[in-house]
Amino acid sequence: MISQTQQTPPERTGGALEDITVIELCGARGHFMAKLMGDMGARVIKIEPLGGAPERQIGPFMDDDPHPDRSLFFWAHNTSKESLELNIETSEGQKIIKRLAATADVILEDFEPGYLPSLGLGYKNLSAENEKLVMTSLTAFGQDGPYRDYKSTDIVALAMGGIMHSCGYDDLPGSPPIRPSGDHGNKIASHYGLMGTLAAIFNRHFSGRGQYIDASAHEACNSTTEHALPTYLYEGENVFRQTGRHHSTTPTPKTLCKTSDGKYVIVFQLFNNLHSWLSLVKWMADVGMAEDLQEERYKDMARGGSRGMRAATDTTDSDHAFEVVRRFIASQTSEDIYRGAQNLKFPWGQVRSPEENLNDPHFAEDRQMFANIPHSEMGEGVSFKYVGRPYRFTESPWDAFRPPLVGEHTKSILSVDLEYSEQDLKTLEVNGIISSNQN
Amino acid sequence: MSEPQTLMRKGALEGVRVIDFSWIVAGPQCTRILGDFGADVIKIENDANMDYIRASRPVGGSSSPNRSPLFTTLNRNKRSLTLNVMHPRGMELLKDLIKKSDVIVENFSSRVLEKWGLGYEEQKKINPKIIYCSMSGFGHTGRDRDFVTWGPTAQALSGLTFMSGLPGEESAGWGFSYMDHTGGFYGTIAIMMALIHRNKTGEGQHIDLSQVETGIALTGTSVLDYTVNSRPFRRDEMPPGNRAPDRQIAPHNSYPCKGDDRWCVIAVTNEDEWDSLVDAVGNPSWAGEDRFASMESRFANQEPLDAFIAEWTINHSPHEVFDILQGAGVPAGAVQTPVERAEKDPQLKHRDFIAEIPHEELGKARVESIPMRMSETPWKLERPSPLLGEHSAEIYTELLDVTPEELATLYEEGIA
Repeated sequence: MISQTQQTPPERTGGALEDITVIELCGARGHFMAKLMGDMGARVIKIEPLGGAPERQIGPFMDDDPHPDRSLFFWAHNTSKESLELNIETSEGQKIIKRLAATADVILEDFEPGYLPSLGLGYKNLSAENEKLVMTSLTAFGQDGPYRDYKSTDIVALAMGGIMHSCGYDDLPGSPPIRPSGDHGNKIASHYGLMGTLAAIFNRHFSGRGQYIDASAHEACNSTTEHALPTYLYEGENVFRQTGRHHSTTPTPKTLCKTSDGKYVIVFQLFNNLHSWLSLVKWMADVGMAEDLQEERYKDMARGGSRGMRAATDTTDSDHAFEVVRRFIASQTSEDIYRGAQNLKFPWGQVRSPEENLNDPHFAEDRQMFANIPHSEMGEGVSFKYVGRPYRFTESPWDAFRPPLVGEHTKSILSVDLEYSEQDLKTLEVNGIISSNQN
Repeated sequence: MSEPQTLMRKGALEGVRVIDFSWIVAGPQCTRILGDFGADVIKIENDANMDYIRASRPVGGSSSPNRSPLFTTLNRNKRSLTLNVMHPRGMELLKDLIKKSDVIVENFSSRVLEKWGLGYEEQKKINPKIIYCSMSGFGHTGRDRDFVTWGPTAQALSGLTFMSGLPGEESAGWGFSYMDHTGGFYGTIAIMMALIHRNKTGEGQHIDLSQVETGIALTGTSVLDYTVNSRPFRRDEMPPGNRAPDRQIAPHNSYPCKGDDRWCVIAVTNEDEWDSLVDAVGNPSWAGEDRFASMESRFANQEPLDAFIAEWTINHSPHEVFDILQGAGVPAGAVQTPVERAEKDPQLKHRDFIAEIPHEELGKARVESIPMRMSETPWKLERPSPLLGEHSAEIYTELLDVTPEELATLYEEGIA
């Protein structure tokens, strides 16, 4: 099924990172930061252990076939990379990494602290031959400190980082804090790792020197909890989780409202301003559901705007208004409420499942948010729709190509970049440095 | 931008000047990191139109615009300039500042700068190398460009709210504006990419960010499951709660602990960790049952498995579970509360996670630090969040060559 023709990374021009070479030694914590660099034009060489990266075992899989080249989790986090399948626990494997690092711009790695230095591949070793090298280590807890050697996964990072404490239910007795699914502990870590890396690349342009960045998922998550820390640091109080809305030290009105199609919208800032309020009540009255909301006292609340509402202590009227609005919303579809309310300048949103954006004309058509990425290894003309660019630049385009097959570029990198001969490659295979099942 | 000759630089982005029109959370999160990396971030407000996070939960209930905890953490390392851009002289001064700056950031809705006559084409006429980052809800093009978002709106639309929760229940969603913070990160990432591009080519550009799209870009796996396998995320068994159907590993969940609403998490990823877990909980007889003999069978029987594990965790505090299991080499964590993170976590203390600096109205500002160490350009908390207009005089006189006499007039006429 999978053809043996190697994908030559397409020629891409003008990407912001187009002349940057990245050596990636990352698993689930860091692979996303390398993808973000690759999609903006960097050449990313992903080093995978023989047999392929363990993330290739994570589902879902294309056609539910758990083949290492068919993990959709892997695809989503590994576009725009080349794969070099290499045993780095051998001296020849280490030599290859050192030779690549000698001319590379960036090393991204997320091994446990001390592992790469134990192989002679720490920043000290690699920067000795290349003072412009930027190396970012993205660990669970950091390179030092009492938790340095502790083990972590995405859910551990989100728990220790305080994010789970803020997410969950206040109206489901006994329910646990919730880990938002989607590998966000790893993504928050990757975003910070990438920011440090880019800052170092910029700095190098002026200083002529690279640097070492020691970043951790633990600190990254801990610094991404909004009100939780400031509220404690200045008021000495702990926020608590509330269903589908912000953490707070006091109960707040519920924002999730069910619609006639069984979906939900989030509804807030009801009394945002008088104009929006009057238009909303008119909309409700047109379908005979405004009840008593045309009364003057509600207009007064809307005149006060959101600041007036915050100052109010008696919430009887606003609670009642919310209940009437909730009944109206329950009689309409989520799409109608979302679009209708946005047209009246309410910042309400439909609670969508991710795939539902494929049918949203603003994102899917006007903004071309989804990218068809060719998978010619599956056959002539085959492509799949991926989520596309998270930003759009006028001068330096985002441009992604499909993730690599296991070891797809091992031979081309070794022979073209490092000038290994056919005979050298055979020796590497025989000695278990590279796989004998190369594409 | 000046190009220092010396190798010693005060920060990675030293020499970069940012005009910051951003408000609330998303934009200030973006410029906070630029400031943390050493950029000169000039936050522009005025008495009539100030960042309304300045009014968020002010310490001591005061009406001062300088006492909001959240403002304090989002705006450290920035300077504050009061400037009324609606006044012709104010606009002139702004254009002068644009000539001397590298980046403009704003998170207004999508037409505001155009209405000011300051869209990207105009900015470019003033400074051809300017990098303009607009952070709106839906982007600057497309049929819904006038729709508006707050963080929760972007989370709901992109799919992130729906992906968080217990199966069969309402969405738990995110307990804060995750997409304000993450949207801010993408602004920072994009601006630094554009700066790197400009170092090479000399050209500036417009970065059009949409907060919803940034959220969509985080849902890649689920979208592929639909486009490749036609399997929607909206289905009976989803969202997965705290379990890991994608990885097919168990135990992987939250577990109740001793104390009021206290929880821990455990994630066993391989056989070695399972063996260590069984030892650490005292080799109970249930652990030897056939149905828990392999990862596959544990995953298939995680309901009873989780119940057995909870019988053990409920007798321990979250940090006891954390210490016992991590000591045995098992990935585990406490669901930490704010007080634990701020006062107790020895790792965060070791890493100097909470930083302090004197603050004129609050006595001292206490903020979370940037979560990384950089060997050549270490982070410094140079200044606390600025008082409203704190740096106006120095910016007007030193940077914009306004005379002290004119400065007095600017204040008098409500321009400064």
